[in-house]
Amino acid sequence: MASPLQPGKARRLLNIVGPFLGLLLVIGLFSLSPTVRAFFLTGANFKIILTQTVIVAIGTLGMTIIIVSGGIDLSVGSIVALTSVVCALALDKERPPWIAALLTIGTGVLVGIINGSVIGFLRMMPFIVTLGMMGIGRGTAKWLSGSQTVNPPDNPLNRIMLPRNPNFLWPVPNGVWIALGLAVVMAIVMRRTVFGRYIFAIGANEDAARLSGIRIPLQKTAIYALAGVFFGIAGLMQFSRLTQGDPTVANGLELDIIAAVVIGGASLSGGSGSILGSMIGALIMAVLRNGSNQMGWPTYVQEIIIGVVIIIAVGLDKLRKGRAG
Amino acid sequence: MSRTLLRLSVAAILFSFSCLLQAAEPSYTIAVIPKGTTHEFWKSINAGAKKAEQELKAKGTKIDIIWKGPLREDDRDQQIQLVENFMTRRVSSMVLAPLDDKALIRPVENAMNAGVPVVIMDSGLKTEKYVSFVATDNYKGGQLAGEEMGRQLGGKGNVILLRYAVGSASTEAREAGFVDALKKSPNIKLISSDQHAGATRELAYQVSQNLLNRFKHEVNGIFCPCEPPTIAMTKALRELGLAGGKVKMIGFDSGSQSVTDLKNGDVQALVVQNPLLMGYLGVMTAVKNLRGEKVEHRIDTGVALITRENMDQPEMKELLTPPIDKYLK
Repeated sequence: MASPLQPGKARRLLNIVGPFLGLLLVIGLFSLSPTVRAFFLTGANFKIILTQTVIVAIGTLGMTIIIVSGGIDLSVGSIVALTSVVCALALDKERPPWIAALLTIGTGVLVGIINGSVIGFLRMMPFIVTLGMMGIGRGTAKWLSGSQTVNPPDNPLNRIMLPRNPNFLWPVPNGVWIALGLAVVMAIVMRRTVFGRYIFAIGANEDAARLSGIRIPLQKTAIYALAGVFFGIAGLMQFSRLTQGDPTVANGLELDIIAAVVIGGASLSGGSGSILGSMIGALIMAVLRNGSNQMGWPTYVQEIIIGVVIIIAVGLDKLRKGRAG
Repeated sequence: MSRTLLRLSVAAILFSFSCLLQAAEPSYTIAVIPKGTTHEFWKSINAGAKKAEQELKAKGTKIDIIWKGPLREDDRDQQIQLVENFMTRRVSSMVLAPLDDKALIRPVENAMNAGVPVVIMDSGLKTEKYVSFVATDNYKGGQLAGEEMGRQLGGKGNVILLRYAVGSASTEAREAGFVDALKKSPNIKLISSDQHAGATRELAYQVSQNLLNRFKHEVNGIFCPCEPPTIAMTKALRELGLAGGKVKMIGFDSGSQSVTDLKNGDVQALVVQNPLLMGYLGVMTAVKNLRGEKVEHRIDTGVALITRENMDQPEMKELLTPPIDKYLK
């Protein structure tokens, strides 16, 4: 695809710099107004933005590997609600926090294994399977919680997302570090491990991947199960943020996550995408919400702007890749 | 002889009357449809409906209450479907808290036309075609909050109004009442009144954090028109060290978290409705109407302002923590 004049390295650099430029552009947009700039460009505000990004960011880690492998997962919002309810229920029954955390992540993995094995072994469309799981997950969350919010007593998990020292950037909540750490691990897994290369291979050309000996159903199950780990952690973070399990929370979260992955340069037809890009995509979404609130823009303006940004981001990405190729 | 005849005929008439009464008093199935089911406010409404059910059953009325709501407070479509389904199922009557003052008009009018009378509760509907409207005077509730804000701030300061959601009549009336009451204190400035919290707590929390970052140095008072934004905003204030009276926080409704916040002084005042009475009167009004008795077109269920000072008075206590468990097992 690369033209002889443009070596692959330069193109990769451009791919990485692209989303960064988008982020800077959005930050610049809100810094134009001097009255808002005084509050917007502060450490305290970036702490808020980072904290608000954590759930979407951890979700995009799972979504990125799924989308790169040519799949999609619409059940994320429901899984986050379900796992946050599981976490709250476990704590409410006085289980130790580490057991509650394991149960939460385990629930995410279990749902991922079901999604992945149905998609892989029964060769069903990811769109359909996860659409079904969206209802199953949300329904189960409401069933387990009795359609009520679950409020466990005070516990250490509440403090993962607790912002301390609110007038300064440091220290950021532990959740931000967890998200960053997981992102670094996933970036390495995607680039440097056999499993990571399988993900790209399956997404780029499933038939070719099968013919070269990759066991597609097994790998797909592994991909969705690993994504389930991240969705479970996102549920844990959601619980920690609200300090309650809410079966109605995170409705439509999957669309925010997919938008973040796509803004970050992934292709919905599979085979391309990066963890770094997705994380920046998640940041762009959070900055947009944050800035719009502080500009005093009515809610509808925010919705329109976020929609426009998604389209522009993907359009620019296409243009960039078109020129490079 | 004529006496026996008289007695017999009296007996016959009494018997036929009692038959008639039994015919007029079949079993009632009443669907109670809240806006959502996850907030404690709706639990109290449910308890009130159950209270009515128990009282009616104790008097020998055959009655069945079906409690079913959309799980998210802004899912209009799901609520419309609920109304339509209950209409097709031919319940005797419905008690509905409409999610939207316009979107629910047609389903309600359809049900009324189909002979399923609908009692509206909690939140208004922009039509006259319903049996009765059983609700808090929300505008008055907002005014109470506005007057209290003026008192708390000594008539001077900057105030944020975090609105709830577009199209929710009850909260919009509270917001209007609040804004109008503030106009009486010319030195109070509304520095933000165009942001909506949205229906989930996570969204309300995000908007609160973002707004406070912008205004934390100038804001003196905040009003939120219902439970989720009140809890979220108080949490955000607490994290910034602005709770406990530095910023005067006035909320609406009494969830257990809000009551704790009021006790701890993080919330200065709560405007509280009487959801238990609302659920109770909703069902009672529906039954009265089914029996052919005359019902008022508008029934006010009352509203009160609760502060830390008066929260221990028995009648305020019952409003703050309604005796739900007595009716819901």
